[in-house]
Amino acid sequence: MKSSLLKLGLLCALLGTGSFRALALDGVVIANDSVSVTTLTPAALKDIYTGNTKYWDGGQSIALAYMGDKTDAAIQQASGMDTSAFKTFWQRLAFSGRGQQPKKADDAAALVALVASTKGAIAIVPADAALTGVKTIEIK
Amino acid sequence: MKRIKRTDTQKTLLTAALGAAAACGASAYEVHPLGTNMPPLDFHAFISQGYLKTTDYNYLANDTKNGSFQFTEIGANVSINPFPRTRIAVQGFAFDVGNVGQYDPFLDYALIEYTFSDQIGVRGGRIRRPSGIYNSIQDIDLARTFVLLPQGIYDARWRDWSAGLDGVDLFGSIQMNKAGSLSYEAYAGYVSMADNGGVARYAENGLPPAPVGEFNGIDTAPIFGGQLWWNTPVDGLRLGAAYAYMANWGYNSTIIPPYGPGHIHSVGNVPLQQYSAEYIYKSWTFQAEYYTYDFEGHNYLPAMGDYNIGTTGDNPETWYVAASHRFNHLLEVGTYYTMFKDASAKQNDAALCFRFDLKDWWVFKVEGHYLEGTGLLRDNANNPVQSNNNGWFMLAVKTTFSF
Repeated sequence: MKSSLLKLGLLCALLGTGSFRALALDGVVIANDSVSVTTLTPAALKDIYTGNTKYWDGGQSIALAYMGDKTDAAIQQASGMDTSAFKTFWQRLAFSGRGQQPKKADDAAALVALVASTKGAIAIVPADAALTGVKTIEIK
Repeated sequence: MKRIKRTDTQKTLLTAALGAAAACGASAYEVHPLGTNMPPLDFHAFISQGYLKTTDYNYLANDTKNGSFQFTEIGANVSINPFPRTRIAVQGFAFDVGNVGQYDPFLDYALIEYTFSDQIGVRGGRIRRPSGIYNSIQDIDLARTFVLLPQGIYDARWRDWSAGLDGVDLFGSIQMNKAGSLSYEAYAGYVSMADNGGVARYAENGLPPAPVGEFNGIDTAPIFGGQLWWNTPVDGLRLGAAYAYMANWGYNSTIIPPYGPGHIHSVGNVPLQQYSAEYIYKSWTFQAEYYTYDFEGHNYLPAMGDYNIGTTGDNPETWYVAASHRFNHLLEVGTYYTMFKDASAKQNDAALCFRFDLKDWWVFKVEGHYLEGTGLLRDNANNPVQSNNNGWFMLAVKTTFSF
């Protein structure tokens, strides 16, 4: 009985742990060409979207960019917050001197252009967006 | 150090200028003064204007029984990453809450930060003090659901005491695999409070009315402390603990003879504790916090070789539980219940808030409060008759423009 409870507890702990779940992202992660990485783990992507990681390996600052509405689900999947909470979360960091607010684009084309022109930028765009001047980052 | 009261014209011009900038420049927040190949300067600003109306007492502002607009916050910041892993950020701020702030602009934070890795970084200068969920952004209206945070913890008049310090801060995040992660901040420095700030008014409130009693100023006090957050394996759930210790904090006052002993220097240590829990699930946010501090000040007479004539002190406790739900991009609804008590008084507050995000740059909130007790009025002159048991109401409305 004791052993069963222990196993059940362990199973619950594992199910509640994000690192054991693959990230099914409703979108494609893109980055500026200056970014050297080509893959990120779901945990590393979450660290970026929650401000725990603010610099790429070479020391370049990470510039988050996003758009509302059409990537709501992807923002939720990447950060654990809906778009409104995500925006508020970064406003808290910015206005307390602890971070830089993500830049917002009006549509997918503008978001791709913003990432293409901003060093260190990363964003999630809809899967059907036309990708020019940016690199894609695989999440695995 | 007495501050000069701004004229209505100055207030109006300041407000109009920032409001227009916010409304017109929603996307004009990045400039390249050093050329497009160099790091950009990132600009943001906000202006918040509130309105408070109460039924029985004057609370926070001077004349809320008749309705008061003495509830304004204005901030503008700029930041740049000039070198790898390095960031510089500066924010100017001005506010007015009742007879505190009075639109005097001041440097809110001015810091340089170097991040060695995700695990450790250091920032120094004037920094915002981390404590609980809201302390470092207690006066940033757009970064929360509510107009007024639970006032026993985040008193809108006490920001000069609680919001920041001049010193250094170590920070970082440590991964613990299946156990989640730990985020930490540890700081040390000095807190400088304004002689016409909220804490000064609170101390003044305990003195006999002028000309018998007079408040003479606050000491700059050393402080150290930290904030620890455990980001648990349960997605969206984090638990926090904060501690701070302010050493030899004190203030000077005078009670003229024969009514009192003359010049008094009250000084003591102030340990503070705060415990927090926050759970974000889809469009829901649940929060709970507990906060207490313990100040035991000794009253000395400098004219008599610092003879100790007794102690004065405060050991209040506050807790709250809150929940909010984001219905869509336009509407968020939140509610909280909070209880404050100290040795002599209490104040309970049930709040219900509707937040409307009308535009990316425009937030409007309307909030109702049902309060019991008067423990946080802290303004005897404006409230000569107080009951610690009766219920009363407050309406709080606030709008914020930002970019």
